[in-house]
Parts: sequence; C-alpha cells; structure tokens
Amino acid sequence: MKIIGLIIAVLTGILLIYATVDFPPWADPGSPASTYLSPHYIEKTMEETSVPNIVTAVLADYRGFDTMFETTVIFAAGVACFFILRTFKRKEPEEIFYRHTLTGMTIRVKNSGKVRQDLDEFERIDAMWTPHYLIVKTVARLLVPFIQLFGLYVIAHGHHSPGGGFQGGVILGASIILLAISHDMRTALGRMREKTTALLCTTGVLIYAGAGALCLLLGLNFLDYGALASILYTDPVTARSHGILIVEIGVGLAVMSAMIWIYSNVSSGGKYDEGL
Amino acid sequence: MSQQYPALLVIVPLLSALLISIAGWVNKKLCFPIAVAALSVAALSSVGLLLRVLDEGVVLYRLGGWDPPFGIAYYVDHLNGLILNVVSFVALFNLIAAKKSVEQEFPEKIGPFYTLYVLMVTGLLGIVVTGDAFNLYVLLEIAALTGYGLLAMGEDRAPLSSLNYLYMGTIGACFYLLGVGYLYIVTGSLNMVDIAGILPNLYQSKAVLAALIICMVGVWLKMAFFPLHAWLPNAYTYAPSAASSLIAPLVTKVMIYVMIRLVLTVFTPKYAFDTLVISHSIVWLACIAIVMGAILALAQRNLKKMLTYVIVAEVGYMVGGFWLGNRDGMTGAILHIVNDALMTLCAFLVVSNIVYKVKGHKFEDLKGLFRTMPFTMGAFVVAALSIIGVPPTCGFFSKWYLISGGISAGQYGFVVALLFSSLINVILFFRIIEIAFYEPFGNDHAHTSQPECIKEAPLTMLIPLLIVAVGLVIVGVYTSDIVTHIIQFAIPKGIL
Repeated sequence: MKIIGLIIAVLTGILLIYATVDFPPWADPGSPASTYLSPHYIEKTMEETSVPNIVTAVLADYRGFDTMFETTVIFAAGVACFFILRTFKRKEPEEIFYRHTLTGMTIRVKNSGKVRQDLDEFERIDAMWTPHYLIVKTVARLLVPFIQLFGLYVIAHGHHSPGGGFQGGVILGASIILLAISHDMRTALGRMREKTTALLCTTGVLIYAGAGALCLLLGLNFLDYGALASILYTDPVTARSHGILIVEIGVGLAVMSAMIWIYSNVSSGGKYDEGL
Repeated sequence: MSQQYPALLVIVPLLSALLISIAGWVNKKLCFPIAVAALSVAALSSVGLLLRVLDEGVVLYRLGGWDPPFGIAYYVDHLNGLILNVVSFVALFNLIAAKKSVEQEFPEKIGPFYTLYVLMVTGLLGIVVTGDAFNLYVLLEIAALTGYGLLAMGEDRAPLSSLNYLYMGTIGACFYLLGVGYLYIVTGSLNMVDIAGILPNLYQSKAVLAALIICMVGVWLKMAFFPLHAWLPNAYTYAPSAASSLIAPLVTKVMIYVMIRLVLTVFTPKYAFDTLVISHSIVWLACIAIVMGAILALAQRNLKKMLTYVIVAEVGYMVGGFWLGNRDGMTGAILHIVNDALMTLCAFLVVSNIVYKVKGHKFEDLKGLFRTMPFTMGAFVVAALSIIGVPPTCGFFSKWYLISGGISAGQYGFVVALLFSSLINVILFFRIIEIAFYEPFGNDHAHTSQPECIKEAPLTMLIPLLIVAVGLVIVGVYTSDIVTHIIQFAIPKGIL
C-alpha cells in the first residue's frame, strides 16, 4: 500500500510540475492575473469605495460575500468544537486539590468533599498544577491590556495599513488565552464566561450578515454598502468605507470569541473546569 | 421582492442559524421553530426562483452591487434552479422528521445541532446557486466543516470515521482550490462564465488540462466516486440518524452538480468532450464504481451500511451518465440527481425511524418489522422499488434515460453495469424485505413471543416519510414534464 501511495504522490507531483510549463513567467507584469482585473481594482478602488488599502477593499467589499462566509466558517468551527466536545453531565472529579495560600501546602479532598467556600486562604488548583511564577503571572497580566489595545488598533486600521478583522480578532483572542495559560482556566472564565463567548461569536457574524441584510432592506442588493448612506448621512462612496469598518468589527468579534471558545473546549476536554 | 430571491435563499438560513445559536443559550424550545421557518423561506424562494428562471431564463444577482468579473455574482439557470429545489425541500422534510430523534440522541445540544444543520443547508444552497468558482470553495468549506461536526456525534466509531472523512474531504477541497488557482493564473478571473469566455484561446494550455484533472479528482473525492469512496460508508453508518439522512441524500448529489457545472459552464463541453479524449475512460471508471458498489453492498449485514454502498454505486450512475456526453445520458444524470436525492432521503428516513424504535440497524434488528412498523416498512418498499428501478417510481425513468444514453453512445459496458447493479439491488432489498416480513420478532424468544402490537414511529417522523414516499411516485409520473420544461434547457444546445 505504501508503494502505491508513493507512486500516486509522485505522479501527482509530476502533473503539477508539468502544468507549470504553460504558466506565465514569474512576476510577469503582463500575466493574465495582473492585466485582467487588477488594473480596475488599483485604479478605481479609491474612487469607488474611498478605502486607501486595496486589499481591504477587495476583501471586504468587492468580494465581501466570500469574507462573510469565511467568518461563518470560523463560527462553524467554534460551534462544531462545542457540539462535539462539551460535556454537560457535571461529574465532579474524584479528587479536588486546594492550596493553602499562606503556607503553600496542598490538600487533597476526595469523593466530592468540599472546602468551605468562605475561607479566603484556600484556593482551588488544577490537578496538574505547578506553582505559578510570580514574574510570569504579573507580566502576562500587565501585557493583556496592551495586547488588546493593539488588537483594536489592527481592526480599526485595516483601512489604511495591513490588518483588519481577522488579524485583530486573533490578537484579541490571544490576550484572553494568554490569561488562561499564565493563570488557569477558571481565571480566564471568570473574565469571560462561556455563554458570553458563544453569544459574542454569534453576534460578530450577525453584525456582518446583518449589515448586508440591512442593505437589502434599504432597497439595494445584499452587502451593497452604498445603501447605508441614508442611515449614516454620507454619500454612497463614503458609506462603503464605513460599511467595511462595520463588518471588520463583526469579523473581529467573531474571530476573537471563536478562538477563545475553541481553546476552552479543547484544553479542558469540554468539561470547563481544569485545563492548561 | 422576487428580485431578491437568490439572496434570500442563502441569507435567510444563514441569519437563522445565528439566531438559533443564540436561542440555544436563551430558550431551547425556539431552536426548532426558527429552523423550520428558515428552511421554509429557503424552499419558497427556491420555488419562486425556479419559476422566474422558467419565465425569463437565466437570473443574475450581483452581490454587493458589483458587476460580475469584479464582484461575486449568483447565476441561476435551469440546472441549478432544479437542484436548489431538491436541496431545500429535502433539507426541510428531513428537518421536520428529525425533531424527535434529535431530542432523543442529544437532548442537551439541540441548539448547536440545529445551528450546524441550518448552516450546512446554507452551505449546500450556496454551492449550488453561485456563479463564482472561489465562492463555491468557501461554501464548500462551510458544508464540509458542519458536516464533520454533525457526523462525529454518532455511535461508537463515529468520531474516528468523521476524522477520516475530514482528512479525505480536506484533500478533495484543496484539490478543487488548486484547480481554481491554476485557472486564475492563466485567465485572471474567478467568475465561471467569464473563465469560460477566456478559455477557448487556452485549450492547448497544459495548465488548463491540469486544472481540469485536479478539479475533477477533488470533486470525485468529495462525492465518493469509487476508488476514492473509502471514507463514506463508515462516516455515514455511525452518524446520528438526523445527520446522516441530511448528508447522505444531499452532499454527494451536490458534488455531482458541481462536476456538471464545472464541465458545462467553466471548461465547456467542447473542451471536455471534443478537445480531450477522456470521457470514455471516465465512463469505464464509472462502470467499475457501479459494479464494485453493488458487490460491496451485497457483502454487508447492516442496513445502513448497505445503503451507503448503494450510494457509492449510484454515484457511478451519475458520473458515468454525464460523461457519456450525449443528451440522453446527461438528462439521465441530472434527473437521477433529483431522484436519487429523494430515494436516499426516503431510505435513510426509514432507517432513522427504525433506529428511533429498535435502537439498531443490523439485519437482525429488522426481524418482524412489517408487523410492528407497517407504515415505515411500506415506505421502505417504495424506496426499494425506486432504487431497483420499477415503474412508476421515479428511479425507473432516470435509469431508462441512462441506459438509452449508454446505447446511443455505444458504451455497452455502462449498460451492462447498470443492469447488473439493478439485479443486485433486487437481491439486496428483497433480502431485507424477507427478513422484516417473514422472520418473527426476536428470534431467540420464539416460543415465548409476546403478542405483537403496532409500535410505529411518532407521527412527526412518519408523515414526512410518507410524503417523501408518495413523492417518489409523483416525481416518477411527472418525469416527462420535468425533462421537457427544465432539464432540456439545462443541457447546452450543442449536445445531441
């Protein structure tokens, strides 16, 4: 079987290389890809959408419909992870570990016993707990707000520089995941609960699809941001630029929460109690 | 409003999937009604769209208001107008039938289940309605990703088989994307009609040839065309019944539509059938697929798994029929997409009723079912007759077109394979009918058999099933109308 696989792989490789014979030369300015549609995008983008970054305009406006579904793909990945992994039958682990914060002693409570909740000096810890280093914890906590600020900048600045909803959303998601890694899952969930994450993820896609549907309700085609001009009190071309910002925010929200949602489901095996 | 049908068809299910996701966290009882409403709107829009296509020909919808080669356009003609109706109605009937079994199989995850379900239908509808080669890939991703999730929630080996499907499906989708990439390099466009306009100058290009081959292999992987079918039987057998009865009828058929669309609209029949000489070999591959599907089905001792191998054989029918390259063969292939979707839906709904009551789909579990579940098994007989190809059920007519296409193309191997597979189907289904009819319920306790009473599936599962079973006959009776009013226009005039 392995040899058959190797033969097929080699044959496929030969086919792919054979096809490159008729490709336009490398970086040829006269190639179809750079002479057919690109000149229109390069020359007309500013005039038609008032967005300086052509890539953003193509991504979120000319081919905005694809991008909406790319966002939906990420949403679907989050839902699928949740659907497959999440376990609702709350089975308390046989042993729960607590740490006496003053002395650093660890106590093990067996068979669903409990430590009194009102005692401050005990904190619950994961079974695989290793002492957190003060430096790691503090630096991570200090970094989180700056990471989030940068994420917001990347989302908002997609019009002018490389960036946009996907990149910014990943950065925002990484900030919460960093909190979960440097502290523990319960801390991160305390900041952002599971329900909030799931609803934010849905809201993100809803902002994108809803903006498109709003254009439809205002009498133009789906995702024709020009229709938003009457609501935003601008001319249709500027409205396209604003429309792109709205959907980028939606993408950012959806991507951020999908990242966190997938992380929490995978790292805790769907139990949402302990994990990394 | 009718101007917006193409958008509504995809957008309403998408927005509703999001609403269902929210409802899953707020009030689970709302999930099902929203899903039914969404798919009803989609079904009504697809009917409206087909009527518009019949009236005025091709319908073009420009998303974002951009003109086609610059933006994305929906492009609805007779071919995808018909398939859209099939997809939306099959999804709607199955959704209604699935309510009880969803509540039984995952009571706590109703929200995410319906979200994924409606998203998957969105993906399938989007694949069919689009006129943009890259947009098709994005929707393909949605349909596939949600499909993996739905299939993985089944019994024992389901997660592993779904993972296997994920690997194969991803490779298939990548191949398709690579093919589209090659086309983009040589033409600079992603719009299907636009590519077709540029290609005639490039018929001699090796890159176009490679693009055709890669796209075809990718699509064949996704549709489980015989040597590439290995992921399908396990993935569908162990899946939850509500998911398998959505995915089994639709995914393979939609991929066959994609193949037809690629050849007819993107690469054009002139290139695929005249410039290249590959159609004969593909028909032979299809013959092997039909024969092997039939033989492998014969070896199964499990109803659901047997049906999955029947699907593998049916895929061979449609691929072979299309690549015959004449009008009869193509008519048969397109008609068979409609018929096979309905037949497979009917058969899988029967299985999900049986699973709901008996909790199993092995042959031993079927004993005495004619006495306990007479209506379900009645529908099963109709589906069986249709898959075998007995008039007046619809399966007969598409097979008739396929066989006459095979004869006029001189491809007698294909004709023989079709007849062989029909004979095997007779054995397959009468064996099951025999088990369910003659063998007493619970063989081991034959002496102490308790009085048998009717333990039929609940009405919400039974009524959609019976409608589909009657539909098999109705579609069969109206075949000539479907062919003369719709399918005839779906095939380019140049093909005789």
